[in-house]
Amino acid sequence: MSNRTLGIMMGAVALLIVAVAVVFVLVLSGGDGDDDSGTAQPAREASERDDDTDSARETGGDDDDRDRAVSGSGICSENRLVTFGDDPATVFDPIQVGDASTAEYTAEIFGGLVTLDLDLNVVPDIAERWEITDNGRVYTFFLRDDVVFHNGRRVTADDFKYSIERAADPANFSPTVLDYLGDIVGVRDKFNGRTDEVSGVQVIDEYTLRIELDRPISYFLQQLTYTIAYVVDQEQIEQDPDGWTRQPNGTGPFRLKIFRPLEEIVLIPNDRYHLGPPRLDEVVFTLAGGSLSTRFQNDEIHIAIVPAVELAGVLSGESELAEFYRPAPQLAFFYLGMNVNEPPFDDPLVRQAFALAIDREAINEVLFFDAAIVADGIVPPTLPGYSEAITSYRYDPDRAAELLAQSRYANDMPRIILTFSGGGGDPPDNLQAYQQQWREALGVEVEIEAIEWSAYLRELRRGELQMYSTGWIADYPDPENFVGKLFASESRLNHSGYANDRVDALLDEAATLQDQEARYRLYHEAEQIIIDDAPIIPTFWTVGHYLVRECVQNWVDPGTIVPKYRYIEIDTSGE
Amino acid sequence: MSQGLAGYIIRRLLWTVPVIVAISILVFLLLRLGPLDPVESILGQRYTEEGADRLREKYGYDRPVHIQYLKYVQNLFQGDLGVSTRHQNFTVAEVVIPKIRVSAGMGVMAMVLVFGLGVPAGVFAALRRGTFLDPLTIGFWLLIDSVPVLISAIWAQWLFALQFGWVDLTYGGVFHPNIILPVFVMSLPGVAGVARLMRASVIQVSTEDYVRTARSKGLREQTVVVSHVVRNALLPMITVIGLALPGIFAGALFTELLFGIPGIAREALQAVLAPDFDVVLGLVLFGSILFVFANILVDVAYGFIDPRIRLSAARGS
Amino acid sequence: MQAQVPALDFEESGFRPAPRFRILRELGHKKIAMVGIVIITIFYLFGIFSPWLATHDPNQQQLVVEARYAGPSSDHWFGTDRAGRDLYSRIVYAARTTLLFTLVVIVTGSFLIGLSLGLIAGYRGGWIDTLIMRVGEVLSSIPTLFLIIAISAAFRTRISDFVFTLKEDTFLGDDARAIVPFLIIVLASLPFAWFGSARIVRSQVLAIREQEYVLAAETIGVSTARLLARHIFPGVLPIFLVGLSASMAGIAFLEVALSYLGLGVDPATQSFGTLIFEAGRVRTFQQFPHVLMFSGIPLSLFFFSWTLLGDALVDVVEPRTYRR
Repeated sequence: MSNRTLGIMMGAVALLIVAVAVVFVLVLSGGDGDDDSGTAQPAREASERDDDTDSARETGGDDDDRDRAVSGSGICSENRLVTFGDDPATVFDPIQVGDASTAEYTAEIFGGLVTLDLDLNVVPDIAERWEITDNGRVYTFFLRDDVVFHNGRRVTADDFKYSIERAADPANFSPTVLDYLGDIVGVRDKFNGRTDEVSGVQVIDEYTLRIELDRPISYFLQQLTYTIAYVVDQEQIEQDPDGWTRQPNGTGPFRLKIFRPLEEIVLIPNDRYHLGPPRLDEVVFTLAGGSLSTRFQNDEIHIAIVPAVELAGVLSGESELAEFYRPAPQLAFFYLGMNVNEPPFDDPLVRQAFALAIDREAINEVLFFDAAIVADGIVPPTLPGYSEAITSYRYDPDRAAELLAQSRYANDMPRIILTFSGGGGDPPDNLQAYQQQWREALGVEVEIEAIEWSAYLRELRRGELQMYSTGWIADYPDPENFVGKLFASESRLNHSGYANDRVDALLDEAATLQDQEARYRLYHEAEQIIIDDAPIIPTFWTVGHYLVRECVQNWVDPGTIVPKYRYIEIDTSGE
Repeated sequence: MSQGLAGYIIRRLLWTVPVIVAISILVFLLLRLGPLDPVESILGQRYTEEGADRLREKYGYDRPVHIQYLKYVQNLFQGDLGVSTRHQNFTVAEVVIPKIRVSAGMGVMAMVLVFGLGVPAGVFAALRRGTFLDPLTIGFWLLIDSVPVLISAIWAQWLFALQFGWVDLTYGGVFHPNIILPVFVMSLPGVAGVARLMRASVIQVSTEDYVRTARSKGLREQTVVVSHVVRNALLPMITVIGLALPGIFAGALFTELLFGIPGIAREALQAVLAPDFDVVLGLVLFGSILFVFANILVDVAYGFIDPRIRLSAARGS
Repeated sequence: MQAQVPALDFEESGFRPAPRFRILRELGHKKIAMVGIVIITIFYLFGIFSPWLATHDPNQQQLVVEARYAGPSSDHWFGTDRAGRDLYSRIVYAARTTLLFTLVVIVTGSFLIGLSLGLIAGYRGGWIDTLIMRVGEVLSSIPTLFLIIAISAAFRTRISDFVFTLKEDTFLGDDARAIVPFLIIVLASLPFAWFGSARIVRSQVLAIREQEYVLAAETIGVSTARLLARHIFPGVLPIFLVGLSASMAGIAFLEVALSYLGLGVDPATQSFGTLIFEAGRVRTFQQFPHVLMFSGIPLSLFFFSWTLLGDALVDVVEPRTYRR
């Protein structure tokens, strides 16, 4: 056999393998060869008013689009916002959303009875006004008559009844319904399969809806701002129960144009939005990660988030990015939790000594460039109901050593393990700083352990962690969401096992009190008791670190999920 | 002899079936019986026993493992790779295929670049054998090869995007010019291998009789080099395609992470960490099939280059 | 990343019995090999003697603004990182992690498992050979990195009780906390680390078996153990070393990659992966290039040296194609 023949055979084999690979890819990609990379665009259109989406796709679609996205003389020349986003962890179904990243998009696409403004006040959305009667047990909402879904269908009270019953339907299994709507008469029963109807939601007439509560909780309106209470389109869901979230038909200021997992989400304005249509032509969330600040510096993106390890590169003296830096306090509270039922933290003196021994100011200054806020309490400063009067243990190593010496474990300190969920994130430099400070002030060696996220949650839930580092982000802007959810002795989020009768009594009383100021005072009292008892050590209220181009007008990060992109505008005048 | 080769190839192709089945069982068991629990990470802090049970039922995780596996295989034959638990209503195919297109596109471009840089370097080094230019060329590429993508990506971004301002970093699709920098970074570690092999191959070919004959016929050196030496030296390079595949995949992960490219390596990482069972399985199967075929290509290519190996390999099977 | 093994010549069956020290002697004549050996030796010496060579405790933070990202000085030779830790000491200890990881994986994976399975497969043949080669083929067909990531992630559960048992009842003492996560990544890597060397060894054994002197030894009834130890093992060793040195960089990179992703070593253990993660941001590099430079260059040189050494070994062991 000659070399030449063998050569030809080799070529044939190579061709064969390439062909197999090509066929493989083609088979996998299914029949629709011209579908631009499986973008979750259903063939059927949920809306007839989708004309501009269609034309964009017909004219060749993505690649043109993207050329526009990444080319050009300066990003500020178009009224099109390019920002970053996280990959949504669930679907755009309001009742399934349990994570902040999905909630952010869902809040822009959908709407409910009430919403939050940028200062976190509850303001009307689809409900024009409401009356609260029967000592706060009955809410009557009067709906606007000009609200339509993205497809043009008018929203009525029946849609809300459907949406809430759908949320409570056990077949749909919403992970959040009991937390947010569980106080509505009948929701719990329906969720547990005891009834079919949610009797607490009554349609009075086309534009009047009455909601009855089991008990007069005073933060019910705040809870209604969460995605679970958003209105969804019954017709669309029944037509396409599995695929409707790809082209969600909501009432929000934006419509979903493109969603490519790990790549991008593109929202376009809902021109008929009842609270005033958005001013942007398009919002692009890049989900790809990469070097956001580099892309920002290269003028490719309007808004970038800066991770803690990169702060130095942005904020240090000679950085040309410092002028774009915009800190935004988050409704998030970070703390070190201690298991109060396990030695040595069953002795309050030990807990207090540990709290006194850490120097949060120094950590903030060095590791966070003074850009975080040392938590002097539990409720973050931007939340309604925050009190300046609350104080936490300040750094005092001598006093810490004294307290430890008085404690039961002064001469016999058991092993201590501080657990956090490691993996992928920033290195635990702050935890190592605490470790060092405890060693120096108390002579106690704490070991740090990193475990995987779901294992971490499991241990937390079972209350098996001796000491842990964690945080809590507000679901709705009310002190109850922090003080009540984390420290009520019965709450399943109370991982430290803390139980204080006085605190429980205060929380119970505050939950149903109608006078806001008086309520806040009760929370303040509870908060101070908790901090003094020290089942946790408050560490930081986090701050989001952003870089924002100057042409972006009205950009605000309220620190929690609030529909906010409709306010934004790009100044294209070319400064 | 050619029948032996064809038979060998057919045997190898048939053998891939049990290999793929074994891999699928292995990975399936590892995922289902391992400690990672997708239900826990879906529910996160809202976990309740009841909610977890409902989700397990929904995804069929409550059934015995062998039933789950058979169900998976049954669906597989109907073209159903399962659903992503992270993107709840996306099928695995919908999640994975766009990523495969991106990575395949980048892989092909990187491969072209690897050859585009490596072959000339190898020829140059071989022709300058005995001078300092030979070790310098090969050494240079070896040094480049030694810098992990983790570092070279940062340097490249800093140099080409910030200092020179030649490129943008925003991912704009596989056919957008912005893909050049990540492809370049990804291909850097492969160049040295191609260059070395090309150099060796050129040197070997230069000693062959027909090259000597060509030279002695008084053909111009350039003609000899181009039409005899380089052409024949390129033939063994086909093995490199197979050899370089795993390397390109390994480099792809960090390229995709650091450049924010929605390719399969990043998808696989996210799916593994989530965990997203069906996506992981789909990707592992895809990757395995690719590897198995690449291995066949390499082995057959060896066999072609050196018949002795083919015999022993065939005997081994 | 990993250096490509020029496999073209590995499975070459032309075998010459190698005098015992020929390889070392010939290596000694190669300048390039010497450069590689010297760098690797220095790197490993730093790893072995890191407690004595480090000038600071690598985890000791200095929480003052002036100490953050300070450039090189007489006190901090390589400068400091974002928490004011001494970069030089961190790198010295990171070399220790690399040393331990490569050593453990090489000794157990390549040497104990790979070499012995390769010898058995090649020498015994039959169903054992088939089994070993098929298992290896399956394992090596899986995208390895992701499976290792999955395994390491899966076993990042609570290990404290285990750690404390080790700490109190074994000689490990305070090192237990660092060693257990380390063992996890080693164990995750092992199933995938042995096949490369096993395959090389097997094919070499097949070639040697056909040699006359081995056949002769067999006929005069030399015991299998003796035959393997005296005749086959020495013949296999050179090619095994070539494979080993070529795979070294890849193995070391595995630990770096896992630690970079936060799935590797314990937070208190230094690793090039975590160092690069902290420094590997374009902005950070632009502002404070010393961090990425000082952690990236030793690592790259280490990889480079193994490639040089591997190349030189190929030359010595199989000089036909590579003679300069």
